[in-house]
Amino acid sequence: MIWSIAWRNIWRNKLRSIIMIVAITLGLLAGVFSTSFMQGLVDARIESATKTELGHLQIHAPHFLENNNIVYTIQNSGELVSQIESLDSVKAVGRRLIAEPFIMAAHGTGGGKLIGVEPEQEKRVTDIWEHIIAGTYLEHESRIPPVVIGEKLAKKLRLKVGSRINVQMVDRRGNLSLKGYRISGIYRTTNTSYDESTLFVKYEDLQAQLGMEKNTAHEIVLLLENGDEAPAVKPQAEKLAGNNVVETWKELSPEMSLLTDSMDQYMYIFILIILLALCFGIINTMLMAVLERVKEIGMLMAVGMNKRKVFLMIILETVLLTVTGGIFGILTGAGITKIFETTPINLSMFAEGLESLGYASEVYTSVQNESLVTIAILVVITGIVSAIYPARKALKLNPAEATRTE
Amino acid sequence: MKIIEIKNLYKTYEDNSVPVHAVNGVDLSIEEGEFTAIVGPSGSGKTTLLNIVGGLDNATEGSVFIDGVDISKLSSRKMTDFRMHKIGFVFQAYNLIPVLTAKENVEFVMHLQGEKKAKRDARASELLKAVGLGTMMDRRPSKLSGGQQQRVAVARALASKPKFVLADEPTANLDSKSTENLLDIMEQLNKEEKITFIFSTHDQRVVNKARRVVMLEDGKIKSDLNKNQG
Repeated sequence: MIWSIAWRNIWRNKLRSIIMIVAITLGLLAGVFSTSFMQGLVDARIESATKTELGHLQIHAPHFLENNNIVYTIQNSGELVSQIESLDSVKAVGRRLIAEPFIMAAHGTGGGKLIGVEPEQEKRVTDIWEHIIAGTYLEHESRIPPVVIGEKLAKKLRLKVGSRINVQMVDRRGNLSLKGYRISGIYRTTNTSYDESTLFVKYEDLQAQLGMEKNTAHEIVLLLENGDEAPAVKPQAEKLAGNNVVETWKELSPEMSLLTDSMDQYMYIFILIILLALCFGIINTMLMAVLERVKEIGMLMAVGMNKRKVFLMIILETVLLTVTGGIFGILTGAGITKIFETTPINLSMFAEGLESLGYASEVYTSVQNESLVTIAILVVITGIVSAIYPARKALKLNPAEATRTE
Repeated sequence: MKIIEIKNLYKTYEDNSVPVHAVNGVDLSIEEGEFTAIVGPSGSGKTTLLNIVGGLDNATEGSVFIDGVDISKLSSRKMTDFRMHKIGFVFQAYNLIPVLTAKENVEFVMHLQGEKKAKRDARASELLKAVGLGTMMDRRPSKLSGGQQQRVAVARALASKPKFVLADEPTANLDSKSTENLLDIMEQLNKEEKITFIFSTHDQRVVNKARRVVMLEDGKIKSDLNKNQG
């Protein structure tokens, strides 16, 4: 019966309760949508970072990452790749040679990171080939070796498919080495900094230019069935890698790691700020409800309703009011989020800025059920916390005075 | 059999640092089945006396025994429980729960007592029929007249099978016809069910119906007239 009274009491002043419910609904809708939007943005960045750039795990020779010195190589890389491919959870493995050359083109010069890949293997590990917007990947056969460059670099050096560039670098023996490449394809990812600085050539072409020993590599990239398993697969890869260093994508890219780890915290801080603001509105609403019913609460106490039950009644009333708004807010927020899980939010007007930071300009929202459950729990807690002051006010009433209040 | 025994009762409070003796040495006994009106001018201490007897207020001095229990010795929690089981209240302004129907209002105290739904249902129906509201059980207070609301309040006061009913100026907000109707119902319940009623009132019609009239003045009993004894 107390539940029933609490529920019916909410609707005694319909307008006031509806205004509060709408406020809670809008607050949570905004909270759920904003957090799922931010989560979508970060998920896309991580997806791009792992699928396009880093993979889930990488192996390097000790000291290689300190300054990308080409003398630090992984020996017997072909055998190591085969062994790692046989591990459970490993989807694909590719080996790479890496150099940092000086690039010369007809209309300018530039620097960057030249990655020598085995095209068939690399296509299984990263998805650069899916981002080709002009020409082809490295399958092109010609007298001049092919190179794939990013759109940003192509624009900067005014290059197009078929253009020729000269690539100069210091080879393994310390001699200057110059080699011509022809643009076979131009790619575009959501990270323009990456596009501007990363070029792909065939493994054997770079091996020849650098004068590397056969069967060596600077980097071995692992793609897993599930990226979350990277920390679990790492020790298995380390056993096979010998002295070489195995690192997860989070270790290789600490800023990405910070982004994912702090995303949940940002989300809850954001939701808590919204709920805190709503809390004051709920307290106000419930305080008005209690002060309007002084006589009635006095009567309830007079006829034998103990303080615990009076307290419970006010708490229930507040929680039911809050939860009603909370349910609407979470459901509408989740509903709108669902729509944008398949239909991207187009932020092309901010594309330049976003892509320079590595973020996609088309964002698919992402909401996790656990987050919605957590938000629902926070809503109930907000209701309880908001009820305490009005409920204490009710408990302080003297039934003898309250029943005679005009 | 005495159900209420008031001994040397005082209630003093301060009004702008001036002590006011709202109840000033009252000794009074109420027997089971009495139909008693406590009358007196405004400020004579009627409501204060009723509040102390009902356990809603504490005495400054003296004691009130209800059914042999000194209620001044009860803790706040036990007092609430005691009120629920032993005392029925009828208020001047009805004080029904507006979101509940007439029947649910009557059931409410039984719910607090932990009675089962079927039992509550049966007794609430029986009481509402007894006060002449058998056809209006599902109406909310806003759909009832003042007289009908006060009859629901009487039914509610009786729902817990209390030892006595305290009615604080129950007819103050009612017209003549509703007052007469309500008094007839209470008199009938008193005679047939032996329910003890104690009223505080200004209303001469209530005084006329009462079989015992206790007059208070300045917190003291000025007269105590028992019509049965002449």
